[in-house]
Amino acid sequence: MLWMSNIVDSKNATTEDDDLQYVVLCRKGDVEAFEILVERHQKKMLNIAYRMLGDYDEACDVVQDAFLAAYKSLNKFKAESKFSTWLYRIVVNYTKNRLKQRKNLARHESASLDESADGQVSCAACLSVASTGNPAELLEQSEREAHVQRCITTLDVEYREVLVMRDIQGFSYEEIRDVLRIPDGTVKSRLSRARVALKDCLVKVIGDL
Amino acid sequence: MKNCKNIENNLPLYAEGLLSDAEKKMVKEHLTECADCSKALANLQKVTAMTQRLPEVEPPPWFKQKIMARVRKQTEKKNFAQKWFYPLRIKIPVQVMATIVIAVLAVYIYRSGDDQMKAVLPEAQQPVMEAQQEPSPAEMPKAKKAAPALLAEGKTAVIGEVKKDQMSAEVSSGESAPKMEIQEAPQKHAARQESMKDRSAEDYSLSGAAKKSKLFKAAAPAASGQMAASVTDQVQPVISIYVADVNSAVVEAEKILTKHNARKVTKKLVAGKAILQAELPAKQLKNLLSQLLGIGRVEEKNMPADGGDQDIKVIIEIKTIQ
Repeated sequence: MLWMSNIVDSKNATTEDDDLQYVVLCRKGDVEAFEILVERHQKKMLNIAYRMLGDYDEACDVVQDAFLAAYKSLNKFKAESKFSTWLYRIVVNYTKNRLKQRKNLARHESASLDESADGQVSCAACLSVASTGNPAELLEQSEREAHVQRCITTLDVEYREVLVMRDIQGFSYEEIRDVLRIPDGTVKSRLSRARVALKDCLVKVIGDL
Repeated sequence: MKNCKNIENNLPLYAEGLLSDAEKKMVKEHLTECADCSKALANLQKVTAMTQRLPEVEPPPWFKQKIMARVRKQTEKKNFAQKWFYPLRIKIPVQVMATIVIAVLAVYIYRSGDDQMKAVLPEAQQPVMEAQQEPSPAEMPKAKKAAPALLAEGKTAVIGEVKKDQMSAEVSSGESAPKMEIQEAPQKHAARQESMKDRSAEDYSLSGAAKKSKLFKAAAPAASGQMAASVTDQVQPVISIYVADVNSAVVEAEKILTKHNARKVTKKLVAGKAILQAELPAKQLKNLLSQLLGIGRVEEKNMPADGGDQDIKVIIEIKTIQ
């Protein structure tokens, strides 16, 4: 019942958290309630993982693991922050772990750019391709996106996560601060450096932007 | 150039309008003068726009089902675990039972380990402790019955080749084992000798061979663990020798006994007479008797009809002629 009191205590902080009712149902053993939470957050979680990893299939694995971990530790969710914040923290951590494993296995040492390209191909079927525009423009746009993705995956993880969350997923600075549990100033400075590094990388790869 | 680097690091924040007024003014002034930084800002804005335009990927159609399948599998596992371990009505009794079982096991193992420790301990340690205990009244008759055997070890002369280790081989087991006697503290040993003297004096002062034979008959089964297995259980022969000088007679008798392969020869002087006790082959008994005739007048009692290979215990009383 501790979690219930926590929920009541932090009522103000989570008044707009629509997920809480489903969290409560899940804790009572309603598995279907968790399905609603999956439905709500799967896309955002997948995109965070995908943009950080640059590999669609790997991102799918990580998100599945993250959801399962969240389900197992639902009782640990104290409702001090929004459920989605807690969920995104889990997926970011799982993604970072996966990147560490990659590094350890040295699978992506020098071929990271090539693999990023493979990942891009792998997820091509899932991209929301705009229906307008001629094939040449679409091809050029697709190439540019591939370059951007490649450059993102070359960034340090701490820069990558803030860039993905802010510029791609549109998180507010406060949300990033809560998810990553770092101060506001750190979020801003990391984001600033991440953007400059990404710009430098793209200038190198593409030339004139 | 250094200034450009600092400005460039602030450009993203400038573009987002997150700088303070002073910083914003400084960057703005720098940008009007520096074409490189202006270009950098332009590129930065383009890159940010490109990044923001990156399309979102869609989860695969099977994604949610796969996640939920794993979640349901996890729920089944959890339910199984809860069924057996979570409910308090089961959990508490299980814990109590486990505690009781562990406690009982611990006591059992401790006790069995104690016995094993006793078995493992060197033999010498245990008899020392037992030797220090006073015999209980119930054990007294047994001690009395074992008196001849104890007499053989605790007392006086060990003649010729008869050595203590030989004795220990003959009179081996039980609480009166010679090993334990050897390890007794000297004062204890002395005290015990005294008590043995008293007991043996009491026993041997009984008049008449019948009493003695009765005593030894009783002693035989009780002290079977203490006596050598080779010694026969039959009635002990008693040879009485009447001499003028007891001391010289004793010396001679001992010599004769040694000559006849006597073992465990013990000597005791009691009230003007000497008592020798020895074990020797039964077939040597007749020769022994004939040789003892040279010392003085001999009377024999309970002599066995025929000699055999078995050892027999003989008591020789040497008395002064009245």
